Amino acid sequence: MDSPLPARPILVALGSEARSLRLIQAGFRLARERSAPWIAVYVDTGLGATAEDAEQVQVWMQEAQRLGATVQRVEAPTLAQGLSELTRNSRAQALVLGRSWDRWPWARLGHSTADELQRRGLDTELVVLDDRRETPGAGADGIPFGAMVGTFLVLAACTGLAWLVPREGNLSLVLPVYLLGVTFIAHRWGSGLGILASAMSALLYNFLLETPRFRQAAAHWPNLLFFLLMLLSAQLVIGLLRRMRQQAREVQRRELHTVSLDLLGRALARSRTPDAVADIAAKHIRQVFKAQAWLLFPEGEGWLVRPLPFPATDMPSPAKLLPRLAVGGRLGDPLEPLPLGEATCLSLTGTDRSEGVLRILPGDAEGLPPQTWELLKAFAVQIALALERLRWLEEARRAQVENETERLRNTLLGAIGHDLRTPLAAIHGAASSLLLPGEIPETTRRDLLTMIQEESERLAHLLGNLLDLTRLESGAIQVQKEWQPLEEVVGAALGRMERRLGAMPVHVELPDDLPLAPFDAALMEQVLINLLANAQRHAPGQDVDLRAWGDASWLHVEVADRGPGIPSDFQERIFDKFFRLPGSGEGGVGLGLAICRAILQAHGGAILAKDRAGGGTIFHLTLPLDGTPPVPPEGAP
Amino acid sequence: MNEPLILIIEDEEALRRFLIPTLSSHAYQVLSAATATEGLAMARSHNPDLVLLDLGLPDLDGMEVLRELRTWSRKPVVILSARNREKDKVRALDQGADDYLAKPFGAAELLARIRVALRHTLQADVPQPLVCSGTLRMDLEHREVRQGGVPVKLTVLEYRLLEALARRNGKVATHSQLLAEVWGPGGAGNTHYLRIYMAMLRRKIERDPTRPRHFITEPNIGYRLNLDAPED
Repeated sequence: MDSPLPARPILVALGSEARSLRLIQAGFRLARERSAPWIAVYVDTGLGATAEDAEQVQVWMQEAQRLGATVQRVEAPTLAQGLSELTRNSRAQALVLGRSWDRWPWARLGHSTADELQRRGLDTELVVLDDRRETPGAGADGIPFGAMVGTFLVLAACTGLAWLVPREGNLSLVLPVYLLGVTFIAHRWGSGLGILASAMSALLYNFLLETPRFRQAAAHWPNLLFFLLMLLSAQLVIGLLRRMRQQAREVQRRELHTVSLDLLGRALARSRTPDAVADIAAKHIRQVFKAQAWLLFPEGEGWLVRPLPFPATDMPSPAKLLPRLAVGGRLGDPLEPLPLGEATCLSLTGTDRSEGVLRILPGDAEGLPPQTWELLKAFAVQIALALERLRWLEEARRAQVENETERLRNTLLGAIGHDLRTPLAAIHGAASSLLLPGEIPETTRRDLLTMIQEESERLAHLLGNLLDLTRLESGAIQVQKEWQPLEEVVGAALGRMERRLGAMPVHVELPDDLPLAPFDAALMEQVLINLLANAQRHAPGQDVDLRAWGDASWLHVEVADRGPGIPSDFQERIFDKFFRLPGSGEGGVGLGLAICRAILQAHGGAILAKDRAGGGTIFHLTLPLDGTPPVPPEGAP
Repeated sequence: MNEPLILIIEDEEALRRFLIPTLSSHAYQVLSAATATEGLAMARSHNPDLVLLDLGLPDLDGMEVLRELRTWSRKPVVILSARNREKDKVRALDQGADDYLAKPFGAAELLARIRVALRHTLQADVPQPLVCSGTLRMDLEHREVRQGGVPVKLTVLEYRLLEALARRNGKVATHSQLLAEVWGPGGAGNTHYLRIYMAMLRRKIERDPTRPRHFITEPNIGYRLNLDAPED
């Protein structure tokens, strides 16, 4: 048996009934125990399934799928045939099904689906879940044809038995036979047929008495009494059965409630946004109550409604509606539904406050039956808790962001404290020396003035960087992407650097066929200037290589220096704000690279630092070549 | 000739305190105004040779002042604006401003821009037949371009682009101005045409196109011809 073939699957036959959930759970457990895949299957026999059933089946199928089942829907004339074919085709090792599966009484009369399957000779283990708590509800919805035939057959059998009583026999034997038959019929097919059967028994009995065999004995047995007895016992049985059936139905209803609440709770637990909560709530309410539902959140003077579309326009404003709903709260039940036109509103009250309002519009004009209100309230509580959970999560997240902002602000203050104060101190000092009375040698005077100029430039640069980064991160800078050659922006950056610092040993290597790329020239110039200034600072006088190439979807640019290099632990962190390499000494505040990254990210590109063979660092930039490049002008090469 | 009169419209006192003595000590007469209204009144009464205009004024948008000035005066206007406000700069240039200075700027830069702007007014009526940028000489009358004494062969569009820049005498030309002058109204919006032709022009004229000395790029704004290009 230990073959490398995948494990044989476990089949679970589902119907629309509530106990299907137990079948699903059993299948899931079995599959887990045997580490086998499992398949949830619904056999559509095309008989007796209503739209509601179909919807319910859909719910079960989804639940099974959530638990890892493959779902399958087959059409077959009978359940047994469909299941046996599927079992054979899928080589299933086990088949899980409920007892008394068929809706059709004659199918139950002679055999169950399980028996039928066994008869078909499947080499599959049958796992039949017996569900004693569930009594078939036949008879409740009129008398099916099959039950009628069954009644006649039973009565005929009884008559046959009575006929077998010996000629001189006693009628006392005939009576229990009919009683038994009628009780069986009432039990099996309900009160209607029970009464019919007792009446017919009386007629049959009469007929028997007319026959020569019993005429003698008839004198002693008044047939009227017999008929009354028959009726009485049938009624007794019927009454008992009705009570049992009602209890069973109640149990079933409760089970359905539990199951639907369970499903709602599980779905809500996975929701991540209020919109998702609204979608889930609306879907489950539609399935369980056949009603449309919306969640309404107060938003200023009006409501924020989900899911959309929301057809009603006559909602009272939050200021009017919320106090009316809160009245229920003072009366003790904060969830008391409030009828509002055709719709009903419920306050979604969580543990500490109202999270919003649930508005339900029943599918039919009669509105929601009062016995469903209990479940509806339970739904509202679940939804309110889900919303509350999301609100708390959001609050926690916001608190975390605030902490992070606070931390950054402190770093920023620290950096500013140092980096702004240093040049300011120099400027202040130099200016005050210049103002001192008395002669200052010309060279000293020039030195002091040069220092004032240089330090103020440094201040301007720092403030500019801070401003740029803030605006980039807040999205205040709009990236003006235009298709253009890289050459131009390289030229502009080198020109600006050289005007500032004199000639730089930068080797530029741009292929003639470098593609145009969409980018913001001013921002990319800034990136190149920051990278070149970095190289200049950490490897003064050393060669810097700038090269670029294109592939199908990216423009690549490399700025490579022969500086001391960056330890691999820091190659990512150098792009963080205010991060400075330990021991890097004087220089920037640690904003230049953060700005580069922010700019490239705003372009949909990236920037990375890596080691350069032979020493130094390579900054590798990528820019996406998104969209269609513009048509070159006529006459251009 | 009289000393040129410069009107400063700038609301920040610190900047006025720097501008007034700097300009006065370089042979300019200086007037200053702290608001747009005051500045416009002074411009009408004194008809200055050049206006230094700050775009961020307390009472009226600098752009409005520029529009108002341009209804009756062709005298050069140099915009003072913060860094990173390329859109404002382009708008001001397209509205008829002659040049811009990004704050903070140094005295040398300020004086150079003022010189260029004033030179332009002096020559505005008479087209300048010969424009030089370092070793590049452009004879606009005979449509002849020489780099280091060697004639350069240019296509019609390349020449038109070069001519449009040369006629500005070192002033910045915005992308849309150049597109309109070289390609006519049909060229609007095709900034990449301009970039491609500029690249071709640079390859023919610049020694190292990645380090242009004659045709300076002003990212996101336009180009200018560098009249002070080194003679090497």
